[in-house]
Amino acid sequence: MSTAAVTPTATVHPPRRRGSADRNDASSTAFNRLAATCVTLFALIWLIPFAWAFITSLRANDDIAANPTAFWSGGFSFAAYTSAWESSPLGSWYVNSFIISTLAVIFTVLICSMVAFALVHLDFRGKAAVFAVILAGLMLPTEALILPQFMEFRALGLLGTYWAIVLPGVALPVAVFVFHSFIKGIPVALVEAARIDGASWWRIYSQIVMPLCRPAISAVAILTFITSWNAFLWPLLVLTQTKSQTIPVGLSSLVGGAAIQYAETMASAVLGILPLLAVFLLLQRQIAQGVANTGIK
Amino acid sequence: MRGISRRTLLATGGIALAGAASGCGTPVATSFTGAQPATADVIFWHLFGGGDGANMGTMVDSYRSSSGRSVEPTLLSWGNPYYTKLALSASSGRPPDVAVAHLSRLPLLARAGLLEPVADQFTEAGITQDRFTPAAWEKATVDETPYAVPLDTHPFVMFYNVELAEKAGLLGSDGRLKPLTGRDDFVAAVSAMKEAGGEEYGAVCTITADPSTNWRLFTMAYSGLAGPLVTDLGTKVTLDRDAAGETFEFLQSLTGSERLMPSTATATTSSTLFSQGRVGFLFDGVWQIPTYRGVEGLDFDVAPFPPLLGSDPVAYADSHALVVPRSEGRSSARTADAVGFIKGLLDQSLTWADGGHVPAWLPVQESEDFRSLDPQSGYIEAAFNAVYDPPGWYTGAGSDFQTAMGSVIASVLSGGTDPSSGVSDVADSLKTFSTARSPV
Amino acid sequence: MTTGAVALPARKVDETSRSATPEDRGPRGHTKVGWLFAAPFLTLYVLFLIGPVLIGAVISLFNTTTVTPGLGTWVGLSNYADVLSSGDFWASMWHSVLFTLLTTPLLLLLPLLFAILASRMARGQWFYRLAFFAPFVVPSAAVCLIFAFMYTPETGLISNVFGWVGLTPPDFFGSTSGAWFAVTLLTLWWTFGFNFILYTAAIQEISEEVYEAAAIDGAGPWQQIRSITIPLLRPTMSLVLILQVLASLKVFDQIYILLAGGPNYSTRPVIQYIFDTGFTSYRGGYAAAATLVYFVILVTVSVLWLLIRRRTAGPQSA
Repeated sequence: MSTAAVTPTATVHPPRRRGSADRNDASSTAFNRLAATCVTLFALIWLIPFAWAFITSLRANDDIAANPTAFWSGGFSFAAYTSAWESSPLGSWYVNSFIISTLAVIFTVLICSMVAFALVHLDFRGKAAVFAVILAGLMLPTEALILPQFMEFRALGLLGTYWAIVLPGVALPVAVFVFHSFIKGIPVALVEAARIDGASWWRIYSQIVMPLCRPAISAVAILTFITSWNAFLWPLLVLTQTKSQTIPVGLSSLVGGAAIQYAETMASAVLGILPLLAVFLLLQRQIAQGVANTGIK
Repeated sequence: MRGISRRTLLATGGIALAGAASGCGTPVATSFTGAQPATADVIFWHLFGGGDGANMGTMVDSYRSSSGRSVEPTLLSWGNPYYTKLALSASSGRPPDVAVAHLSRLPLLARAGLLEPVADQFTEAGITQDRFTPAAWEKATVDETPYAVPLDTHPFVMFYNVELAEKAGLLGSDGRLKPLTGRDDFVAAVSAMKEAGGEEYGAVCTITADPSTNWRLFTMAYSGLAGPLVTDLGTKVTLDRDAAGETFEFLQSLTGSERLMPSTATATTSSTLFSQGRVGFLFDGVWQIPTYRGVEGLDFDVAPFPPLLGSDPVAYADSHALVVPRSEGRSSARTADAVGFIKGLLDQSLTWADGGHVPAWLPVQESEDFRSLDPQSGYIEAAFNAVYDPPGWYTGAGSDFQTAMGSVIASVLSGGTDPSSGVSDVADSLKTFSTARSPV
Repeated sequence: MTTGAVALPARKVDETSRSATPEDRGPRGHTKVGWLFAAPFLTLYVLFLIGPVLIGAVISLFNTTTVTPGLGTWVGLSNYADVLSSGDFWASMWHSVLFTLLTTPLLLLLPLLFAILASRMARGQWFYRLAFFAPFVVPSAAVCLIFAFMYTPETGLISNVFGWVGLTPPDFFGSTSGAWFAVTLLTLWWTFGFNFILYTAAIQEISEEVYEAAAIDGAGPWQQIRSITIPLLRPTMSLVLILQVLASLKVFDQIYILLAGGPNYSTRPVIQYIFDTGFTSYRGGYAAAATLVYFVILVTVSVLWLLIRRRTAGPQSA
């Protein structure tokens, strides 16, 4: 099969340029020009919603109502951002989202890499069964289980806490497989040498294997962060107090609200987008690679 | 790739910082420990936007300054999302201290054990049965226990154009609509309005894409003849087919044979026709008063419906009420603040009445200040003749039940369904609702 | 979107069998330490992945009230009978399927087309990645805020675009067809980038020499795409297809936030049905039964895909 396993080497392919393979004949050049035009145009269209939200957030409401589709009408201001910030507890929402996503990343990376390490390097009774169970977990549609999950967390008395959001997502089978295939690519000799030196398994895991796993950690961490930052349904059910909500849940309460506060609503949307977009701009390549790694296996 | 550890470090630091910066009652700390949040003395949820929202804001502000207590009000989306959220928060043990609820939605909330009963602390604060509109207090009582403090009654009423009414000879010596005595009188009045206006219709009611309004109109007329459609918390159908048939025939005659009302009218149609003085009557809820007060050149007043079918006047109504959602972790001091806040809002019922609502709090309702309010003082009796949604676990404001019923009724009013098929459709729909297993 | 979490079981099966056979490296008998390392994961896995399935199965047999403790009265399988005979349940099931049918072809083919075209560009890769993938990191609620504004009658950008090309904009919030259009367009914009990245990564795996050989043989760009790129991307397309189908069947966010399942529940997906019955009406037992029926349908889709893939992949890899 052409979709080879993710190995440490497979993840660091430099992007290749298809165009370079073509001879400089006229039809190729014409085709490439056409392709470039098409894809660039499409990409520009894709940016319009961002641009539209941002520009609207800088305009005055009555001006928007009068000339709804004018991209430029002079007189921009950040006033809408001030009032958006004041009218909803965006600051609290940021803090909550940040804490939840960070906890989710720490726990997911730790727990999933530990079990992956055990599956690769430790021969223990029942290992095959553990592997099969985790594999089966890939097919469990957990998002469908909100109702029994809610009942369970109520019984545990954890509703309304960060733990209720963080814990259900931490045992992530796909993350185990990312770590598993990565750890398998690490030379066994390293582990054996450490064993001979008398290192404990925990030491081997934490001091030898994990440091070599950085690309896998990065992929799992980034995707976990994005997924938990953007989670909507479960946080909607669990965190009901206004100031304990996350960014997506808080923002959703503004949809269909004051219909005439265009600028303020768009300012809230921009503020809601900003943190992850900033992360994305900084780590564009790693994020894309992370998606590719967890997707293609 | 070294960045990862740096980022992890930063993140961990961030959490430590957030933890350090927060005291015990902050949302961050309580979200870790699961304790009751205490971001203000009273956490208050409501569902009022627009004019009602502004009035509520005024009332909250004035309570804050007079009592010295801090209040954190939150506006949530109206309807099912609001009630879902309220139930979720109560069942997770971290509800607001005070919340607004429609009395029509009370049975499910109360039966599910999500509300504190209105008991001793309320009595001590002077919140007692004898100081409320009886119909509202009765509706606030579930299984013999009161669970809500009614704030208002907002009935479905007749708006009328004063100029047209004068022209049609419908005004009494006090300049208000002469009391109508029954069905024939009512039909004659609408016909007179039609003539006075010289346009196509005498009255308008939003029929298209507004199931709740259809439901209000139907329930009001039907309740003159028979009791509630369902009983036993919605599990038993008590539909009186003859009464429903008669109601449908009457309502359909208004839009059909008599041509007194348009058979299809969206909310925009209704407000346009009434604002421009092209119809004499508008049938809608009192909460629309602020909307029409803003229309320049429109002189209107409001009156309760006369008895249409049967002999006694009936006003379809609902009430906003204040409830204290149950919470194990709420201290008695917080409960006291919650009760104090509720009392504070009741005392400001006059501000609330600006939105067209009849205060349920008799000390204000009977006060000179309220009695001199126009048009509010014209339909106080409607609060006493109020008929609410039948108590049930699926009925109430914004419920699927109202939507389902309203769709059938709209289809009859617009002439798409004849009265007898309409009755069958209502019966079918009631069967679906009543046979679903009640969760409480 | 949690597409990432679904991932693809197909190839993993080989690994299971491989891991199942004892490997002769290192001393045996790490049972205790092995379980210690696996314990945190397995505990959470059993508690929060397996646990809810079992709890759901139990409460589906009772008339449980979602918001109060306790199971309620025993009702046997009648909740299932009620769910299976409920028109509303099947309507919502159909809406989820319809959403899948509306979005999957677009999200399978358009990103493929643009990934292929973009991969031919010598420069500007970062720009395409930025433009197409950035929406994927935007929270659903923010996407809905922006699109709700663009769909607003009269003032909205998209409504106006219809006017510019001489069309009447559909009623995005008031009509069923308009609502589906609104949701489909929003979803296309939002999730396009995920598949674009998957395709781009797969294209980069294709060996340069294959193209060079084809170019020497005189194959034009179009022939190269048709006879090399697309056939080699088949497995990726199959992957994108199943990820897309599973994610779409679980749609909730955008339909709930933008439309609340409206107008008049004509777009309500099955997760919202469970949400409405379970959390708005407190009918926990009934909603649990609906959850399990839906759960079984989803697992069946995954397993079917797995079987089909094993069958078709088997001879190829042999």
